[in-house]
Amino acid sequence: MVSVINTVDTSHEDMIHDAQMDYYGTRLATCSSDRSVKIFDVRNGGQILIADLRGHEGPVWQVAWAHPMYGNILASCSYDRKVIIWKEENGTWEKTHEHTGHDSSVNSVCWAPHDYGLILACGSSDGAISLLTYTGEGQWDVKKINNAHTIGCNAVSWAPAVVPGSLIDQPSGQKPNYIKKFASGGCDNLIKLWKEEEDGQWKEEQKLEAHSDWVRDVAWAPSIGLPTSTIASCSQDGRVFVWTCDDASSNTWSPKLLHKFNDVVWHVSWSITANILAVSGGDNKVTLWKESVDGQWVCISDVNKGQGSVSASVTEGQQNEQ
Amino acid sequence: MKLKEVDRTAMQAWSPAQNHPIYLATGTSAQQLDATFSTNASLEIFEFDLSDLSLDMKSCATFSSSHRYHKLIWGPHKLDSKGNVSGVLIAGGENGNIILYDPSKIIAGDKEVVIAQNDKHTGPVRALDVNIFQTNLVASGANESEIYIWDLNNFATPMTPGAKTQPLEDISCIAWNRQVQHILASASPSGRATVWDLRKNEPIIKVSDHNNRMHCSGLAWHPEVATQMVLASEDDRLPVVQVWDLRFASTPLRVLENHARGILAIAWSMADPELLLSCGKDAKILCSNPNTGEVLYELPTNTQWCFDIQWCPRNPAVLSAASFDGRISVYSIMGGSTDGLRQKQADKLSSSFGNLDPFGTGQPLPPLQIPQQAAQHSIVLPLKKPPKWIRRPIGASFSFGGKLVTFENVKVQSQQGAELQPHVFISQVVTEKEFLSRSDQLQQVVQSQGFVNYCQKKIDASQSDFEKNVWSFLKVNFEDDSRGKYLQLLGYSKEDLGKKIALALNKVDGPNVHIKEEKQESEFLPSVGGPFNISISGDIDGLITQALLTGNFESAVDLCLHDNRMADAIILAIAGGQELLARTQKKYFAKSQSKITRLITAVVMKNWKEIVESCDLKNWREALAAVLTYAKPDEFSALCDLLGTRLESEGDSLLQTQACLCYICAGNVEKLVACWTKAQDGSNPLSLQDLIEKVVILRKAVQRTQAMDTNTVGVLLAEKMSQYANLLAAQGSIAAALAFLPESTNQPNIVQLRDRLCRAQGEPVPGQESPQVPYERQHLPKGRPGPTADHTQIPRVPTQQYYPHGENPPPPGFIMHGNVNPNVASAQLSTSPGHMHTQVPSYPQPQRPQNGWNDPPALNRVPKKKKMPENFMPPVPITSPIMNPMGDPQSQMLQQPSAPGPLSNQASFSQPHLPGGQPSFQGLQQPLGQPGMPPSFSKPNIEGAPGGPIGNTIQHVQALPTEKITKKPIPDEHLILKTTFEDLIQRCLSSATDPQTKRKLDDANKRLEFLYDKLREQTLSPTIINGLHNIARSIETRNYSEGLTIHTHIVSTSNFSETSAFMPVLKVVLTQANKLGV
Repeated sequence: MVSVINTVDTSHEDMIHDAQMDYYGTRLATCSSDRSVKIFDVRNGGQILIADLRGHEGPVWQVAWAHPMYGNILASCSYDRKVIIWKEENGTWEKTHEHTGHDSSVNSVCWAPHDYGLILACGSSDGAISLLTYTGEGQWDVKKINNAHTIGCNAVSWAPAVVPGSLIDQPSGQKPNYIKKFASGGCDNLIKLWKEEEDGQWKEEQKLEAHSDWVRDVAWAPSIGLPTSTIASCSQDGRVFVWTCDDASSNTWSPKLLHKFNDVVWHVSWSITANILAVSGGDNKVTLWKESVDGQWVCISDVNKGQGSVSASVTEGQQNEQ
Repeated sequence: MKLKEVDRTAMQAWSPAQNHPIYLATGTSAQQLDATFSTNASLEIFEFDLSDLSLDMKSCATFSSSHRYHKLIWGPHKLDSKGNVSGVLIAGGENGNIILYDPSKIIAGDKEVVIAQNDKHTGPVRALDVNIFQTNLVASGANESEIYIWDLNNFATPMTPGAKTQPLEDISCIAWNRQVQHILASASPSGRATVWDLRKNEPIIKVSDHNNRMHCSGLAWHPEVATQMVLASEDDRLPVVQVWDLRFASTPLRVLENHARGILAIAWSMADPELLLSCGKDAKILCSNPNTGEVLYELPTNTQWCFDIQWCPRNPAVLSAASFDGRISVYSIMGGSTDGLRQKQADKLSSSFGNLDPFGTGQPLPPLQIPQQAAQHSIVLPLKKPPKWIRRPIGASFSFGGKLVTFENVKVQSQQGAELQPHVFISQVVTEKEFLSRSDQLQQVVQSQGFVNYCQKKIDASQSDFEKNVWSFLKVNFEDDSRGKYLQLLGYSKEDLGKKIALALNKVDGPNVHIKEEKQESEFLPSVGGPFNISISGDIDGLITQALLTGNFESAVDLCLHDNRMADAIILAIAGGQELLARTQKKYFAKSQSKITRLITAVVMKNWKEIVESCDLKNWREALAAVLTYAKPDEFSALCDLLGTRLESEGDSLLQTQACLCYICAGNVEKLVACWTKAQDGSNPLSLQDLIEKVVILRKAVQRTQAMDTNTVGVLLAEKMSQYANLLAAQGSIAAALAFLPESTNQPNIVQLRDRLCRAQGEPVPGQESPQVPYERQHLPKGRPGPTADHTQIPRVPTQQYYPHGENPPPPGFIMHGNVNPNVASAQLSTSPGHMHTQVPSYPQPQRPQNGWNDPPALNRVPKKKKMPENFMPPVPITSPIMNPMGDPQSQMLQQPSAPGPLSNQASFSQPHLPGGQPSFQGLQQPLGQPGMPPSFSKPNIEGAPGGPIGNTIQHVQALPTEKITKKPIPDEHLILKTTFEDLIQRCLSSATDPQTKRKLDDANKRLEFLYDKLREQTLSPTIINGLHNIARSIETRNYSEGLTIHTHIVSTSNFSETSAFMPVLKVVLTQANKLGV
C-alpha cells in the first residue's frame, strides 16, 4: 500500500527538518540544520541536485513552494529569524527577498491559495505571525499579528480558497469575494483561526482549545467541494485532533480525537483529496489515517512497516544486515 | 523575554510535567525578609496562563502557613488512587521539618491541606529531590550530614542512604541520578559531593576539587549521561560551574567560568541537555551549554541577584527566577519583543507612590514615564543555538499523485560511529485497490473494444435488478437491432407477441375489428362480379348513394359518421383523399371511447410526444416500448429524453432511477450522469467508478450508433470525469487520469488538472527554461519580461493557424462546437497510442476563440448531441492561432505542457489580485499602442484573439482580415458581467429539462451579445453599468429575486432605446434561474 519509489540522498550535513514536493510532484525541496536548502529534480525516480541554497544563518525549519503560476518560487524560514524567498531565474535559483521582521525563530511558512495573489504567512517563536504580500516591483507588504501565540507560533496553514459549499467555479475576470482565513498553532496550546477583515486587518476569529501542550502543527484540509471545513492538529501532548465545521456561518468547530500517541506528534499532512492524513510522530513513526464510513478515524498504514518501508526505528543490528 | 511576574519573596516550584494546566507554587522564603519584617508565611499557587497577555499571574489559592521554607518541590506522585492528579508539594522547613501538602486541596480552598509532616531532620531542610523513576521516593538533606530517603507511601520512617559522611556538615544540595534510579548525589557548602548507591547503602565516590574553594550551591545530574554531573560554586573567588564525569573523578571534565561572582543556583533542562541555567551574585542569569562551556543566552534581568531558578517541566522554553528584590519572574528563552512589558512597569512605578492621586488634586497622575535608554532595543534575541525541542526530527507530507515524502533523522551505526542518514523517501500511497483494478479493466475494454463482453460480465455480476437492467440496456447498444432488443428488455418480444396473437385468433371468432374487416373484405370481393342495386331512396343509405354518385365523399363520410357507420366512413375517406381521411380519423377518435384509443390515436397520428407526455408514469415501459417501435430516428432520442425527464421530475424515487434507462436509450450521457448522481453517493470512489463505467460505455455506444462528437462533454459530466481523474491521480495512476480527463472543455479546473498531470508524469521538457503553465504568469521583480513572452509559447506553424476561406473545411459529419477546446494539444493527445478515445478524427480541429469576435459567442453554448446535417459549413474561418496541425502525436504529447495556449491560460485562472500590484504585472503584458484601453486591460486575448504572448498576439492580429477585428474587447472591469451572465445561462442550461427552456436560454445567450457589444463600445451610461454589476453580484450570491428587483429598477429609470436590446433577455435569464434554482 505504501511503497518507496525513490530514495533521495540529500547529503545534508545535519538533521533534515522538512521535505516538500512542488505542485507537480517533480521537484523536492529539503532544508536542514546545516543551514542549507536543497532542491532536487526527482522525476522518474531519479535525483538531480538543482540548487543548494545558502543564505540562512541558522537551522532551516520549513520550506514552501508557491503556486507555479507565479514562477518557481520557494520560501524558507529559519532559526536565524529570517524568511527567505528564493526564485528560479533562467535556470538559476537565487534569493529574491529576505524578510527580517521577526525577533525570534521563524518556525513555519505557508503560501496562501494562489487565488489571493502571492501571500506568505510566517509563524515565529516571538509569538507573532507576519503576512507578506507581493505588491509588485519587488515590494512586499508586511502585516504583522503580534502576540498571536505567546512564546511562539509553531505552524500556519491556510484555508482553501474555495468557499465551502460552492461547487461552481467563480467566474473569471473579477476578484471574487474570497474570505481569507488561516489557522495557526502555538506554544499556548491553542489553535487560532484568523480572518481578514474588510479593512485588510487580520482578526482572531476563533480559538480552538483541546490540546494540553504545545500545538506542533495544524493542517487545513484541501477543499473537495463539500460544505465541511476540516483542520487537523497535533501536539506535544501526543494527541491528534480532527476539527470540523459543518456550518460556516455559525463557525462552530468540533474536535474529534484521532489518536493519542505516546510521544510528541510533530507533523500532520492531508492528501490532496483530503481523505488521508499522514501523522508524523516523535517515535519516528509515520502513520496514515482514514475516516471510516461511521466517522471513526482508522489507521490504515504504518509507513514504517509498509513494504520497502522507510528505514525507521529498526534496531541498529538490523540496519547493518540490510 | 519576560512573560510573567509575581511580587513575592519566595521559593518556587512548578507543577510536574504531567500536569495541565501549569501551576507555579510559591512558599515564603525562610532566608529573606522584606522591609515589613513580617514573618508571616504563606503557600500560594498561581496558574501559568499564556493566553492571558498581561504580566500578572493569576493566583489560584493562598494558604497561610506557620512555616517558612528553605526548599519547595512539587512531585508527581499520586497519594491516593482517587485520580488525584495534582501530585504532592514537598516543603523543607526551618526546623528540620518536611511537610507534604496536597496542592489540589490548596487550589480547592480546603483548610486541611497538609498530608503529612515529619521533623526528623536537624536544622533547616535545604535540599529536596524526587526520584523520577519512583516518584514516591524523596531525598532530603539538612544539617549534620543528614540525608533521608522518604517513601511517600510510608512517610513515618525514612531510610538513610548509608552512614553519614564525616566530618559532619550541612547538606546544601541533593539530586537523584537521571538515568540510574538508585544513584543519589549530595553536596555541601564545603565543596564536597558524595555519590550514593542505595542498593549498596553506602557512598560510592566522593567528588572534590583539590583547592577546596568550591562552595557548593548547586548540584545537577546530566539528563542523559548517567556518569556526569555539574557542581556550582557560590564562592566569589571561584564563581564556576564544574562538569564532572565519574569515570574520571579526580578533576573536573570542564569548568565554566562565565560568572563574575558566586553562583547561587543552577538548573539543567530536562528537555535539552545542552541548556544549563545559572544565576549568580553578578546579577546575571546565563544559559550555557555545559557540554561546551559556551554561553548561549543571557537573560535580560534587572540588577538583582536571583537565589532560585527553575525550568518549567512542562513548557521547556519557560523558566522562573526568584530574586532578592522580592519578585519571581517567568521568562521565555525563545526571545521576542518585550514591548508589552514596559507599560506595566511604568504603571507599577507610578502606583508605588501610594495611590494614583497623591496630591489630592482629584486628578489621577499620569503614568510615570520611565526614562528609556534610547539605544537599548527592546528585542531580546533567542538562544544562540536552537533548543532541541524545536528541531523537528521527522515529517511526512503528501504531494500530488498520491506521493508521500518522508524524512527522519535516525542515527545509523557505521564504522565512523553514529551517523545521520540524510535521506528523504518518496513513497506511493495506494488506498483504493479495487477502484484501481476496475478502472484498469475499463481502460482495457475501451482499448480492446470488447464492450459486449464487458457489459455481459457486468450483468452477470450485478447485485440488483436495476443494475442488471442498466447494463443490459447498455449492452444492447452494441448489438444489432438495438431497438428490438430494448423492446425485449422491456418485456415485448416480437416473436412472443406473434405467438400470442396467433393463439388469440384461433381461440376467438369474436368481433375483433381487424379480423372482421378482413372477413368482410374476403366476402365482399368474390361478390364483385354480381349484380347490385344502387338505391337512391331518401334514407341514409340513399343519401350516401347520391353523395357518392356526385363524388361528394365528404358528405358521404359525414353521413356515415352520423349513422355511426365508422367502418364505412373510414373506407370512404380513404377514397376521398388524405385530407379527408385525416379529418375522419380525428372524428372517429373523438367519438370512440375505447381504452386503447389513445394508443391507436398516437400510432395513427404518429403523435408520440402525446404518449410520452401524457401517459401514466406507471406505464413508462409501454411508452418507451411504443417509442422504440415507432419513433423516427430523428425524434427517437428526444422522446426517450422527454420520458426520462418526466420520470425524473414527476415520478417517485423508484421511477426516478428508471429514468436512467430512458437516458441510456436516448444516448444522453449528460442526463444519465445527472440522474445517477442524484440517486448515488458520489463521494465514494467505487460509486463514482460505477457511474464512470456506465458513462464511458454509453459514450462509446453513442459514438458508434449516432456518430456523436466524442469531444463534447457537458458541464456535469466534465465535473464527474475530472473528479474521477483526480481520484486516479491521487492513487498514483497519472496516465489513467489523463486518459479519462475530458478533452474538449475549457473549464479551468480541468485545464489545470491536465497541465498538472502532464507535468507530474515527469515528461522531460528539454531546453525549456521556464515552464509553461495554464495560468497567467505573475512575475517577481527579477524576472525579465518572462515566460509569457517566451518563444516556447509561440505556435510552431503560424502559417497554418487559420483555415483560409473555402479551403480545407472540416469533412462532413464533423461537428464543430462552440465548446471546442482551444487547447489543441488535448485534441492531439487523443490520437496518441494507448489513449482511450481512439475514434477522434485526427485532422486538425478548427479552433474558435473562446469569446469570439463573431456572433454568437462561442462560449457556453450547449453542445448538440446529434449529428449535423450533411451540408454543414464550417463557421467563421477564424481559428485560434495556436493550431498545431499534423505532426507526430507522440512528440506533440511531449510538448503538450508548453502547448496549452494562452487562451486556456485565460480560462484557467482569474487573474491573481495583488493589491496595488496590478500595474507592474500588467505592464509587462500590456499591448503596445492600444490607446483608450484602461491600463488594467492588458490581454487582448480575453476578448480578442486567443493569443497569449503579447508580441505574437499582435502579429496574429495583423495577420487577420481587418474586418474580423473591428470588435473591441470588453473592458476588463466589465468582463465580469459577461462571464457571470454566461455562467448563469450555462448553469440554467445544465439544469433545464424541457427543450423550450433550453431554446429560450440559447437564444438569450445569443441576444446578450448586444449587451457585450455595448460594453465593448463603452456606450452604456454609468448608472446602467452599475446596475448590471449589481445584478451580477446578486447572481453570484444566487439571489435572483434581488437581481430582478434591480433589473426592474434599471428598466424603469433608464432610456428605453438604450436598454431594450438586452434588458428583456436578461430578465428571461434571471427568471429562469430563479425558477430552476440554479
